[in-house]
Formats: sequence, structure tokens, C-alpha cells
Amino acid sequence: MYKLVPSVCSYCGTGCGVLFKVLDGKLLGTLPLKTHPVNEGKLCIKGWNLHEFVNSPLRLKAPLIRINGRFAKVTWDRAIRYTAEKFREVMSQHGPDSVGFLASAKITNEDNYLIQKFARAVVGTNNVDHCARL
Amino acid sequence: MHEKVLNLLETGKVDIFLGYKMMAGHPLPHAFGRHNPVEVQEMILGPARYPLEKLAVEILAARPDLKIGILARDCNRRALNVLTVHQQVAPGQVQVLEVSCCPSPLQRHADCSSLEAKEFGAGKKEIGIDNNLTPDRLEAMEPTERFSRWMYEFQKCLKCYGCRDICPVCFCRECSLEHEDLIGTGDLPPEVPIFHLVRAVHMAGRCIDCGLCEDACPVDIPLRLLYRKVNELVADLFDYKTGLSLEQPPFSLLFDKTAQPAAAPHGA
Ligand code: SF4
Ligand code: SF4
Ligand code: SF4
Repeated sequence: MYKLVPSVCSYCGTGCGVLFKVLDGKLLGTLPLKTHPVNEGKLCIKGWNLHEFVNSPLRLKAPLIRINGRFAKVTWDRAIRYTAEKFREVMSQHGPDSVGFLASAKITNEDNYLIQKFARAVVGTNNVDHCARL
Repeated sequence: MHEKVLNLLETGKVDIFLGYKMMAGHPLPHAFGRHNPVEVQEMILGPARYPLEKLAVEILAARPDLKIGILARDCNRRALNVLTVHQQVAPGQVQVLEVSCCPSPLQRHADCSSLEAKEFGAGKKEIGIDNNLTPDRLEAMEPTERFSRWMYEFQKCLKCYGCRDICPVCFCRECSLEHEDLIGTGDLPPEVPIFHLVRAVHMAGRCIDCGLCEDACPVDIPLRLLYRKVNELVADLFDYKTGLSLEQPPFSLLFDKTAQPAAAPHGA
């Protein structure tokens, strides 16, 4: 019926602790997690409004591929296969430095490590950057 | 305490009881229900404080069919009185289980973040305002010095609206702090000192001195001190005791158009 669910803010790399207010399966709002060591009960304006994008009608819930000029919803498998094919195509024509990898503040350190490892060891490029530098 | 909560749930006096429980290593507010009576034994009293009465009123706005009980320290109780006087909730609609937060070491009490003096760095002492001050100690300062210290505090504001969002007695559907003609948009800090003074004036006869706003402020502005002064005036000039009883009309200097009965939160 009513739940308070602890989580971590997904907006920036600070990683503030949040508490989601959930009523009948729907997100009502966000509170700061008062005992979290990172934010000690404080949030920035983005964190306080974290629930808004989850409920936004504009939120993308599935990958999109442009087919004949129009975006179409596809499965993750298809989207990943499509991306891999395009990467291969570009790299076979222009070499590994023709592609780059943009890591994220919203994923774990381990995932970020994997991205740079994949870029350097598998693809063979040092083109790795991070959204915190944008 | 656990028996009382169980009793409230089992006799159908409440459908949800808001208390606290350790989850993921944190003392978190939690909704106990009659479907899981064993869990009630895990209820704790603190030490973290959340505005449980605000959560209860939000739930009732979306689900008026529910009956809710809350664990209430003195501040929760006072806030619920203000919310009742302002018709955000009907008298008795939220059942209260009072918990003592008396600071005596002789009893196992629910700690209160506002009982501990806060530590601040040298910079704040030099040019800002120590949040532990009382209104009289602050007033002993030269007016110009006091003004410049307040201005230093206000210009740190990040406009996160955390003070408003955590506040149990901030329930207006249209908030003056988002009114474009009053508070400009797109700049930081927000209009200083208008932003803070508008909120201070609105806290007259509303603020019950729980200190949650100050706890939520990322830049340690002594908000509670400011509202304490405002409510000292309300008590001295109008003999109005904010939150202390249900037998008083809402405090208002002018006809207050902002306060309207609760509605479902946006998007609910
Ligand atoms: S609340 Fe703000 S500072 Fe904290 S993680 Fe989210 S975006 Fe970053
Ligand atoms: S102390 Fe702050 S949060 Fe508490 S009632 Fe007053 S203004 Fe609201
Ligand atoms: S909580 Fe502090 S920083 Fe945030 S809007 Fe209120 S006064 Fe400004």
C-alpha cells in the first residue's frame, strides 16, 4: 500500500541517499535519507525532484532505432546488435580511433572501469570520456 | 509500544501505522500494516526524525479511505495541530501514538537531532551566524553587523527548496517562493533576502520549531533561528501559541488565500 524505499540519486556522481515515497505502486515523492553518510539528510533541487522523471510521460522506456526516418521501439537485443554492427562498420573503414566511449556518473565505478577496459583492450582506442566533464 | 501499535492495527483503528524500522542499515520511516504483525516488533523510535505527519497527510490526500496512525514526538504532535487548524486533515483523522523525547539521560528516549549543538567552522563564526544562537543573543549584536551576517547566510542559498519540501507545515498548493513576480527565476542565489523573508513571514503562526528545515539545508543557514524570532513576535504581540492547541483559528494577519484544503499531490 504505502512504502518508503531507500535508494541513491541517479542524477550526478555525488550519489546522495534518497527515500522514495510510494503509494499503491506509484512514486509520490522523494525525501533525503537523513542518515546517509554522503548527503546527511540534504539534497540539491534535482534530488528533491527525482520522482518527476520517473513519472514523466516523455520518459523513454525502451530503446529506439531510426527506421526509415522514424524512431521505432525495439528490444534491447536488437538495439545492441544494431549498435555493434554499426561500430564494426565504422571501425573497419576508419580504424578504432574513429569511435569513442562516454562513461556515466549514473553507473557504478565497476561499470565505468569496464567501459574504459572495453574501449582500450577490446576496441583499441583511448577515446574515453565522462559526462561530468561536459 | 509494539502492543499498542498491534492493537491499533488489529482492531481496525488504523490501516497503516507510520513508525521507524532499521532497513539497509538506516533507521527509516516505515509503514506497518496488519498483514505483517510480526514486523511490528521491529519498530524503533528513532533516532532519525522525518515529518511523519506530512507523509500521513499526503497519503490521505490521495487515499481518503485509509486510516493512518503515526508515532509522534512533540514536534510531530505540534505539526499535526497546525495541519488540523489549517484544515489539511480532520481532527482525529490521524491517530497519534505519543513518544517521549524528553532529553533526560534517565530514560531511554528518542534522540532528537535538534538537541545536539552543531559544530561549525571558523569562517561561519567570523562572518556568518552560529546556528546554535538564541534570538536574544543574536539581538545583542549591532544591527549593521547582524544584517551583514544574515546577508552572508542568505547569499549561500542554493534554492534547493529543501526547507520548504521537508517542512511539515508547508502545504500550500501555490508556493510564493515559486512566484515569478516575487522571486526571479534562473539566478543563484535567489533574491536575497526576499526569498528567505517571504518564507519567514509565511512561517508566522505556522512554524512549530521542529528544525527539519535547518537539518535539510545544504548550506547551514540558521533557518530555525529566523523562524523562532518570527514566532516569538507572534506569541508576544498576538498571544498566539503556534501548534500548541486545536482550539485556535489559523493565524492570519491578512485574509490568507494560500491555505486551501488538501488536494491530491500533483501527478497522483
Ligand atoms: S541530490 Fe543532487 S548532488 Fe546529490 S546525487 Fe542527486 S544530483 Fe547529485
Ligand atoms: S522548523 Fe522549519 S521545517 Fe519545522 S515547522 Fe518550522 S519552518 Fe517548518
Ligand atoms: S534549504 Fe537552504 S539552500 Fe535550500 S532553499 Fe532552503 S535556505 Fe536555500
